[in-house]
This record gives sequence, C-alpha cells and structure tokens, in this order.
Amino acid sequence: MHLAWLRLSGFRNYDSLEIEPDIGVNILVGPNGAGKTNILEAIAYGSKLRSFRSSPDESLVSTNAEAAVLRLGIERAAGEGRIEIELPRNGRRRVLFNGKRPQRSSVLAAEFPVVAFLPDDLGIVKGGPAGRRELLDELASQLTPTTGADIDQFKKVLRQRNSLLKQAGRSVDVMTLDVWDERLATFGARVLLHRLTLLTAMAPVLRESYATVSSANGVLGWRYDSSWAAGCTPNTPQSEAESLLREALLRRRERDMDMRSTSVGPHRDEPTFLLDDRLTRNQASQGEQRSVALSMRLAAYYLLEERHGRPPVLLLDDVFSELDIERADGVMALMPRGQVFVSSAREDEVPVGGRRWSVSGGTVT
Amino acid sequence: MFEPPVQRLIDEFARLPGIGRKSAQRLTFHILNIEDVDASRLSDAILDMKKKIRLCAQCFNLTAEELCSVCADLRRDPTVLCVVERAQDIAVIEGTNQFRGRYHVLGGSISPIEGIGPDELRIRELLGRLDHEGVTEVIVATNPTVEGDMTAMYIARAIKPLGITVSRLASGLPVGGDLDYADEVTLGRALSGRQEM
Ligand SMILES: [Zn+2]
Repeated sequence: MHLAWLRLSGFRNYDSLEIEPDIGVNILVGPNGAGKTNILEAIAYGSKLRSFRSSPDESLVSTNAEAAVLRLGIERAAGEGRIEIELPRNGRRRVLFNGKRPQRSSVLAAEFPVVAFLPDDLGIVKGGPAGRRELLDELASQLTPTTGADIDQFKKVLRQRNSLLKQAGRSVDVMTLDVWDERLATFGARVLLHRLTLLTAMAPVLRESYATVSSANGVLGWRYDSSWAAGCTPNTPQSEAESLLREALLRRRERDMDMRSTSVGPHRDEPTFLLDDRLTRNQASQGEQRSVALSMRLAAYYLLEERHGRPPVLLLDDVFSELDIERADGVMALMPRGQVFVSSAREDEVPVGGRRWSVSGGTVT
Repeated sequence: MFEPPVQRLIDEFARLPGIGRKSAQRLTFHILNIEDVDASRLSDAILDMKKKIRLCAQCFNLTAEELCSVCADLRRDPTVLCVVERAQDIAVIEGTNQFRGRYHVLGGSISPIEGIGPDELRIRELLGRLDHEGVTEVIVATNPTVEGDMTAMYIARAIKPLGITVSRLASGLPVGGDLDYADEVTLGRALSGRQEM
C-alpha cells in the first residue's frame, strides 16, 4: 500500500502541486511555515476525509481559490485506486473513489489506511476522553470498513436525537423519541462492542510497544469506563448491550428532556490508558505520557499492518525534534517497512535516509 | 464577473442540484450560441411543466390530471400500498416491473436537524387512506439512510395497531444512498425479499 502520486490545487498554500513520492522514505525539509505539514495533511485527508489538525474544510481552501482539489493515486493489493476530493469554499464537499461516490465516507479509511504521528499527540493522553474515543473509533474504522459505517450511523442518530430534544424539550413527541432511542440503542451497542473488541486486540500490542519505547518499568494497559455498559466484554451479545442502553436511555429520559441532550451512551464513555494502575492522564510524568502517546500510534501501525497484510502509510510530522534517542528508536523500527513521509525543519534531525524533498513558498522540489 | 444578463443565467444554473460553477458556465455559454427558437422551446418547457404539473389528489405523485396514472389505473391492486419519500422514487420502483399496488408519497423523511417531524410529512394522510381504500399491506420504501430507516420504524409503529402488515425493503440496497442509486435488479430483489417489521 503506498501513495503513487499526489496532486493538489487551491489547497492551503499550494496553488498547484504535483509529486510522485518514493515508495520508501520521503523527507520533506523546509523552514517553518513553508507548507511541509500541509502535504502530510493532504495525504491524511485522502484517508480520513478530515483535517488531522481539526481544521474546518473551508479553511483548507487557499485564499485565492474557489475550491481546493486533492487527487491521490494509490497502489494497493487490489490494483490502482484514485481518490478525488473537491472542497468548495461554499457548498458541499465532493468525494470520488475510482470515479464513483463511495457508499460511505469510512470506505477510504480502510482502503488507504494512514497512521500519523503529530506534535500534539500528547493531548490524547493528557486531554479529556473525547480524543481517546476518537482515536479508538478511527482505528476501528481503518481495521474494518463496516465498523466505520456503524460509527457513522451512531453519530447521525445521536445528532438527530439531540436536535429533537433541543427543539422540543419536555413537549417532545414520545413516539418519535421512542424510535430514535431504538436506533440509538442498536448502533450504540455496536459502537461499544467494536471499541471493546479493538481494545482487547490492542492490549498485547500496546504493552509490547510501550516496552520498546520506554526503558522504565511499568505495563501499559487500558480501562473502559461506561455508566451504562459496566461488565460488558467483547463477547457480550449485541442484544444484551442493546437492552442495557435502551434501559439507560429510558431511565435518563426525563433528565435528557430537561437538559435537551443525550446524557448516556458510547459518546459519554471514558476509555483510559493505565500504567500499572496509575491513570496516564494525570498520574504519569510528562516523559511517560510521551511514551504512551507514541505507543498508541505504534500499536495502531502494527495492528493495521497485521490486518491488511501490508503496512499503512506512515506520516511523521516534525516528531524527531521532540524525541530523545530511546523513543526515536521505537519509531525508527517502523522505517523500512512501508512508505513514510517525514517532515522536519532540519534534515540532520531525521535519523534516516531517503528521498529528500525541499519545501519552500508553495513549491516542492 | 460576466455581463449582468450572462451572470444572471450562470447564477440560476448554479443553484440547481448537482451543478457547480463550471457546469453552470458551460450551460450558459452553450445557450448563448443556440438559435432563439431553441432557447424559447427550453424556457417554454420549463414554464409549461410548472403550470400543468400538480400533485395527485390521492397519492401525491406528480400528475397533469386529478389522479396520477397509477391511481387512475383500475388494474392496480388497491390493497397494497408502497410508501416512498419523493415522487421520483415511484419511477425507480416502476422500473423494476415488480410492484402492482399503489403508492403514497410522504414528501421526505423525519429529520429533526432539518426541522422535519411526522407532522411535516403526509403521515396523517397515509393513515386516512389505509381505512378508506381497504389496504391490507404497506411496504415502506424509504431511502436506506438513518432518516429513512427511522421514518419506516415510525410508520410501522403507527400502523401496526390497525392490524395491517407492514414490511420494509430487504437490505442489500447501498447504505446511506438514495433509491436512485440502486439498480433495478437490486431494487427488484429488495422488493421481493421485503421483511415484515
Ligand atoms: Zn396517485
């Protein structure tokens, strides 16, 4: 699996760009603000259909363009693939995969899996549970396309239910709410089971990854806290998890009507990473937290490689300036496996050789 | 910016679904180059359709008469009703040649985000027809989207107490799409494999 070519127009600081990267290591070197990260962002957008910097789509369109257009040619076991994305300044985004509209947006996550190491990955460990939920859901979608569909459907149902409560509050039409609850329970149970299955599969890989990036003692594990699904395991039958959520929604109904939003479900669950029995979020040192963040990305990489039989595309956005030698070695272990894009302000910081691209003022040579 | 009359037509085209800036310009410059009589035929066709087409008094399909061609056809089975979101879905289902009953057009699907609840759809009219026309089976053929599924479940709950069979098109339709995206073979299979709700 690799990116054979990338064409951008009107994207961030690129009026027009066309590159054919190497199938091995690509090193993007240039001063800060030259647009190195923008290229990594474009590659990741082709997979995740959103910015890894959480920028809204409109802000990706360069100031002098009507629309940003991203085209990616990918080589995979199933043959060549072509991803085309148009982000107009106003109006709806258009996405085509091999000339056709994909059945759902999560299709590309599995067709073109990408793992990105970003400078603010530490936030996933230190921040609130939303970032960790997103990490799990995104990885689950990359591993299995149907999982991505369930997650998308859950989010849609949740948005609709919240919108209904927001408009109607206490005067909500009960039969309409009943039906949304039914759907929320179905998809919510699926999302829970997908997450638990993933965390279970991830546990040994996570433990191993942590051992390679940190010489300190300590075993990295996880815990999944949920107010409605206590005691559920990956083997809990779907129908049982569904009833649990249905009952919890009913118990909270009065309160949800008053608060005008949905107070229980997988969108409120809290996945936590533990070092032995310490919460990594607030009971670990900065150094340990950095190792945990790194281990999560490494584990994602190894799981995707195992599932798809080929390594995912690896994006390293200015990570070496932050890493000491020991942790950098953990990342280096991924180097010869598949295609890699590294961005750095200083080439001598990058402890690996490869095709060098020099980035400045909207051009790449 | 083009000359105001040119720009005006570009803007009108660009407001149509599925037409971007570039296509709107291409269409406009095409029309700029055609004969006057061809241009009037186009504008007449638009106005003529707007003047003559209205909604069928019974099923809310498009029609130039009081009743649409399906409702007016006495050979159609009045005991089976197929519920669709929009009038254009009828053409898709007719294309399968597998359905001999009548239709009911809801006018959309339940979507609180867009401010559409059951009262904004023709669900009350549907319930009224069930009684009047002696319907014994309702097939809900809303789109395979979150909103379409939700609408189907809502209708099933509303109808079930009346002792009428309610079924939903079998899965196999592309998830998240419109009925338009299903080919006739898939849709035909979905119709014959419909499941009771
Ligand atoms: Zn009619």
